[in-house]
Amino acid sequence: MTAGNPTRAAPGADPRRWQPALMLAPFLLGLAVLVFIPAIVTLVMAFADYDLIRPPRWIGTRNFTDLVGDDAFRAALSNSLWFAAIAVPIRLLLALGLALLLHRRSALVGSARTAAVLPTAVPEIAYGLLWLWLLNPVYGPINQLLLVGGQNGLTAFGRTPPQWLTDPNDARTAIILMSLFTIGEIFIVLLAVRVSLPAELYQLAAIEDATGWDVFRRITLPLIAPVLGLLLIRDTIASFQFSFVPALVVTDGGPPPYATTYLSLFIYRNAFEYLRYGYAAAATLVMLVLTVLAVVVQWRLIRPFWVRYRL
Amino acid sequence: MTGSPGLALAGVHAAHGPVEVLHGVDLSVDRDELLVVLGPSGSGKSTLLRVIAGLHPATRGRVLIAGKDVTGWRPGRRGVSMVFQTYALFPHLTVAANIAFGLLVRDTPKREAQERTRRAAAAAGCDHLLDRLPGQLSGGEQQRVALARALVREPQVFLLDEPLSNLDAELRVETRFELRGLHQRVGGTMVHVTHDQTEAMVLGHRIAVLQAGRIQQVGTPDEIWSKPANTFVARFVGSPAMNLVPAALARSLLDPPAVVGSAGSGADGLDNGWLGDPGLVVGFRPGATRLGGRGSAGVVEQVEVVGEDAYVRLRISGQSITARVPAGDRPAVGSAHPVSVRQPDLHLFDGSSGRRVVLR
Repeated sequence: MTAGNPTRAAPGADPRRWQPALMLAPFLLGLAVLVFIPAIVTLVMAFADYDLIRPPRWIGTRNFTDLVGDDAFRAALSNSLWFAAIAVPIRLLLALGLALLLHRRSALVGSARTAAVLPTAVPEIAYGLLWLWLLNPVYGPINQLLLVGGQNGLTAFGRTPPQWLTDPNDARTAIILMSLFTIGEIFIVLLAVRVSLPAELYQLAAIEDATGWDVFRRITLPLIAPVLGLLLIRDTIASFQFSFVPALVVTDGGPPPYATTYLSLFIYRNAFEYLRYGYAAAATLVMLVLTVLAVVVQWRLIRPFWVRYRL
Repeated sequence: MTGSPGLALAGVHAAHGPVEVLHGVDLSVDRDELLVVLGPSGSGKSTLLRVIAGLHPATRGRVLIAGKDVTGWRPGRRGVSMVFQTYALFPHLTVAANIAFGLLVRDTPKREAQERTRRAAAAAGCDHLLDRLPGQLSGGEQQRVALARALVREPQVFLLDEPLSNLDAELRVETRFELRGLHQRVGGTMVHVTHDQTEAMVLGHRIAVLQAGRIQQVGTPDEIWSKPANTFVARFVGSPAMNLVPAALARSLLDPPAVVGSAGSGADGLDNGWLGDPGLVVGFRPGATRLGGRGSAGVVEQVEVVGEDAYVRLRISGQSITARVPAGDRPAVGSAHPVSVRQPDLHLFDGSSGRRVVLR
């Protein structure tokens, strides 16, 4: 053995020098191939016209000016923003309500927690196909239920039942409705946060005779707020994506022309159905900028809490 | 004391799931009395406090506060306030908002709430911290804020759940005195739970010793010390713990020696006849145990020096006995010394029940 021999510790020969790089390599390689390179390609492609067949043609900012004049894009943009503005807050409130309802250990709570998480675990396509049946205007269970107590094909309140797949607003509502049951992750995070809050705080509140509303407003909400803010940012980003499969599988982007065409579906159609890769890349960039803007605005709103709690 | 006591418990039982942890506790605390509940961990003392507060249900028995049966009442109606071992300060509220919490949720006018908050903070010595957040405070400061919050509502009963146990030794001693002074100023019925016997001795007007869900003895610190009701209290209070030996061994240690015979024949005029009773257990404190004199000899097994004192563990006739001697006079390990005790320093207990036996 040559332990202690200075030549053995020469730089380059020491395996410890390149060991970390070697261990990081698989991840870095994946990151480069799957994220960085496609991101750069997208960025470049946004300024080109490319249909997979002919070589790319540089067209400057024409993709972007075309987007502005494109009715389909404007509809998709507006649909995506409305979807995020309506679905995300309701998703958070629902998950928060469930977490506060189910944070105590008692009979059936375990089953209820499982039920709350289960829809999130269903594969997206299967989930979409399931809703296609649920929302069927004639034999779908949702409308069957709505017709209970009504007469002549009307609901108990004397109104026509929603035409989920053919009326633009009903279709948008249907997509939002579908998104409200896939809140398992938010629910789990909020449940964990609520369970970790010290029981003494709540016992003290009981001794001080605080009402349930006071406890929520003065204790639970402020203490959960930092995490709630983080989830708000995360869910807003995700909302640009989780409208994709429902819109593709259930409503097919319609009713015509573009009632449930969201940005993600718009991009998918242009790229893989119309083979307008450059155009799709430009729309992707717009979506990215929107996401960043939304995150910045929300971060500004949330930051004071984080500073206050010294997180 | 006039009228009904500030707090009374009558035959209180409580359970954690299937396990009963309080087996019929009777206790009465006067208005303006500071009672310390002393017990080892697992004795049920925290549960007792939570039953009084209404945070834990009593399976049987009654809780009375200021003469009213509050057994089924929710915590907020009982007129109690509590200081938790962890202080339970709201991390997102300033000190002022923490103290005022109970006033705000009870819709106290803002002006009045501010004034009372200021007064309570001043009484607890934290009025210079009102704008801070709990995360910016030291343990001692947090403890004062928790106290101020308990004071601000002027409750019938103060409940303190080991409030000093998270403080370092020096601060604990200081806060102990302050707590006693605070109680003298503001009055009220105060129940203080601790496992620390020194804290109990220093703070309590009376001490209730709790073990295995039963009250072992209630009395002034003096009574608890000089007349322990049973062998548990005798050994739990006092450090090092009281020596407990068979009567025959105690007899061999007596100096002046025992005189077995007729009444009044002992050296100090007592009948020593009991010393032959095999059913007795005899206790004497390490401080009352003298090395030297005419007692039988023991071999020094171990010596612990604690500041000015040394605790000497000796073995005599297979029994272990601890003596407290000045550190300068401590014997060498392995050496043999006579061990003596005086008859007035002896405590007698029934060997089977452990209860104190009173002669005469």
